[in-house]
Amino acid sequence: MAGTPGRAAPLRSARPSCKRHTDVFKSERFLLRGQDVGRGGRKLSVRSSRFASPRFAGALLTGVLLGALVLFLRTRPDEGTSPTAAVPRGGQIVGSIRAEPRSFNRFVARDQTSDLVSLLTQARLVRIDRETFELEPWLAESWESSADGRTHTLHLRQGVTWSDGTPLTSADVLFSVQAVFDPKVPSVLASTLTVGGQPIHAAAADPQTVTITFAAPSGPGVRLLDGLPILPRHRLESRLADGTFAQAWGTETPPAEIVGLGPFVLREYQPGQRLVFDRNPRYWRQAPDGRALPYLDRLVLEIVPDQNAELLRLQSGATDLTQSELRPEDYVPMRRAEEEGTIRLIELGVGTDADAFWFCLKPEVKRRDPRFAFLQRSEFRQAISHAVDREAFAETVFLGAAVPIWGPVTPGNAPWFWPDLKRYPPSDDRARELLRGIGLEDRDGNGVVEDARGTEARFTVITLRGVGSLERGTAVLRDELARVGIALEIAPLEQGAAIQRMLACDYDAIYMRPLWTDLDPAGNMDFWLSSGDAHFWNIGQRSPAAEWERRIDTIMLEQSASLDPARRQQLFRDVQQILAENLPVLYFAAPRMYYAHSTRVVGVRPSVLRPPALWNADSLSVTQQR
Amino acid sequence: MVRFLFRRLLFALFLVVAVSSSALLLTRLAPGDVTTQLGPFASAAEVARTRERYDLDRAPASQWALWLARASRFDFGDSFLYNRPVRDLIGRAAANTAALAVVALAAATLIGIPLGMFTGSRRGAAAALVRGVSLLALSVPPLLTSLLLVFIASRTRWFPAGGMTSVDALDLSWAAWLADVARHLPLPALALALPIAATFERLQAQSMSEALHQPFLLAAVARGVAPRDLIVRHAWRVSLRPICAVYGLAIGALLSGSFVVEYVTAWPGLGRLMFEALRARDIYLVAGCAAMGGLFLALGSLVGDLLLAAADPRAREAQTG
Repeated sequence: MAGTPGRAAPLRSARPSCKRHTDVFKSERFLLRGQDVGRGGRKLSVRSSRFASPRFAGALLTGVLLGALVLFLRTRPDEGTSPTAAVPRGGQIVGSIRAEPRSFNRFVARDQTSDLVSLLTQARLVRIDRETFELEPWLAESWESSADGRTHTLHLRQGVTWSDGTPLTSADVLFSVQAVFDPKVPSVLASTLTVGGQPIHAAAADPQTVTITFAAPSGPGVRLLDGLPILPRHRLESRLADGTFAQAWGTETPPAEIVGLGPFVLREYQPGQRLVFDRNPRYWRQAPDGRALPYLDRLVLEIVPDQNAELLRLQSGATDLTQSELRPEDYVPMRRAEEEGTIRLIELGVGTDADAFWFCLKPEVKRRDPRFAFLQRSEFRQAISHAVDREAFAETVFLGAAVPIWGPVTPGNAPWFWPDLKRYPPSDDRARELLRGIGLEDRDGNGVVEDARGTEARFTVITLRGVGSLERGTAVLRDELARVGIALEIAPLEQGAAIQRMLACDYDAIYMRPLWTDLDPAGNMDFWLSSGDAHFWNIGQRSPAAEWERRIDTIMLEQSASLDPARRQQLFRDVQQILAENLPVLYFAAPRMYYAHSTRVVGVRPSVLRPPALWNADSLSVTQQR
Repeated sequence: MVRFLFRRLLFALFLVVAVSSSALLLTRLAPGDVTTQLGPFASAAEVARTRERYDLDRAPASQWALWLARASRFDFGDSFLYNRPVRDLIGRAAANTAALAVVALAAATLIGIPLGMFTGSRRGAAAALVRGVSLLALSVPPLLTSLLLVFIASRTRWFPAGGMTSVDALDLSWAAWLADVARHLPLPALALALPIAATFERLQAQSMSEALHQPFLLAAVARGVAPRDLIVRHAWRVSLRPICAVYGLAIGALLSGSFVVEYVTAWPGLGRLMFEALRARDIYLVAGCAAMGGLFLALGSLVGDLLLAAADPRAREAQTG
């Protein structure tokens, strides 16, 4: 698990429900009252006297059919990559990003903008389709895996060349793997490509064949390679040899020096303003009509740090798309823009990440805290779970655009979501009963429960300043828990300060949204294992602090190594159930995700993962020039 | 005069060192540091490497001394956010902010001072209206003004809704590029200029009103000087003193960059750079931006003093004496 979204690797297809937004809002509170939901949102009205005439009725029917045809043709371009459709070529898309890239070398930079630049300019051996989550051939056109799941032989496509014209060979793949694990390279990709505690090993039988060997069987298998951009050996070998690979391809590098296998090449980076990408004329993928991809001549990413300004620019047509989903408060203005015909609004489905609430449960740090006696009891956390009405929580915090959840895996991650997970129905009485069971009662009548020694259940909860849903969420939690006698005080902090407090366990409770690195649980072992760096409530344990954590460790190690999908499913259900019973982290609601882009952009296949649209940049086109 | 200039330059140097050192030490001592930008799950080795690269493994005093020694050679260290030398970043951002500040100051002066002369010398509905608008411009927070202007720009498309150049600026000639920048200037310049113009108007009006009651002006009226000459040639010059006093501060503040305006309008200037650096605890970038801001503040103050000296002989004597 990490702070930036990355690969998605479930076992089977899990296409989220991506549907036109108009239908969704019929059932949502965001529906503009008094408006019918036709295109443009205007009420359709017909005078009854004219409607009574058969001639007018016939004309009207014809008109409606023609209108429907026009509407159909206007909305179809979203799927405009079918072999028969004439996809427009040329032109440019202007997107916006909110932060500068830290480096053009993805091996040493984990920020979202660097990842996006890598997606646009580099390529992987295999790719996970971010809409369907299916694994698809990319630079490797085929592969075979051994029966024990440890050895994978990949065959590279013929005739693929780097953007400078040099042919791609297996030596480039070997070089890339070598760079990831070079001791002098502070690689941010190494942990993802480590299996069974050992780096993956690459060998080449010939210039077109690569054999990847894992130290142990791995459930995700070849999917791991989606996280490895292939870099040009002929350009970077000397930097790796002289120990300066980490500094290679920094943001001050002249764009002409950066070569890749992606659909675009970097043309210019103007700090504080924009990144400009031109079409890679040597890109290896072809459109269904046999012509070269990408369709676009140019892609521009404007740097707009403020999200409000970013959305205003999207509404005005100054930009075509953004790299993030909409906030709940942005739905209504975007819906108006959709009615004006400038914006296409899409429901991506339920998000895969949810806001989480947890206490620091590290005995070494909290042992002297008198509250730790009841804090470490699972009954205390179960009482909290009962005290929160998740339906109301979703209504208030996400303005209705969310679904209740009881565990870390949301319905958005369909292959691993388990709907029968243990639930805690909202009940203040049950919550009070559980608290009484562990000796917590309001003995002094001040509205806050305390134990026999007078220690009150009073906590400070840290959240991120300026993030609307988090600030609303903590306020709702404070009010809900106050009813059962648990007092929360809210401390909104800047991200840096909050993370530092989290790592040092210098907090009572935290409410924020951690992002999954991978939708496959085997890719998030740092969350599940007690020794993991993302085991929030008690990071990096030498040995499991609780028996149930030891059980999770054991099951997850088996789950990640199993090659049997059904077995993996069953094991992961067991793990989710253990977590739901002990509740070291509490989850309340998963937001529905909405994405908006300009109607002039064609071919968008939106994903719940970031970037929502540009992961598929080679297949995007525009219907009209700017 | 030379002694005066020398004194002021020494003061500027002191200001730059004091402001940037304070910024560096406060950033260092505040909770959280740049390594939190690596994310919560960065490896211990990665965190240690980053701390070493940015001298965070040293004691604050030792880090400050090292930074000061390097800064004396115009090496302000590297930025974590941009992964490049701070010197390059602040140079470019300062130039962008300076362009914006000059236009905003000119607009504020051309709007605020004539309106102040008008409201300070007249009564009636028109003057009351101007005063009301001024109060409004002073009261509305810059964040709201900026967002409102971006909103207007995005709805009307009268001017670009942010940024410094168009996406096509890459292929433009120099002249066309300058024209393109000029097209992008009104939005942030207006957002910056409005509250300053309102301040100028209020000060100028009050000062003009006081000047018009001075005995020498009553004498001029008695001599039969025309009302227009009375205001423009006699009262205005005397009334300029308070304006000149705040002019330097306004220049300094404008040149230091406005966090909010540059952030919302996506103007790549010093204010936005400083804001991003502060949020990321990018310690050397914070210190570099503060140094540049301090320098601009000192220069603004110097310009204000020189203007005051030009407008009022008594101030000139006090400064050079």
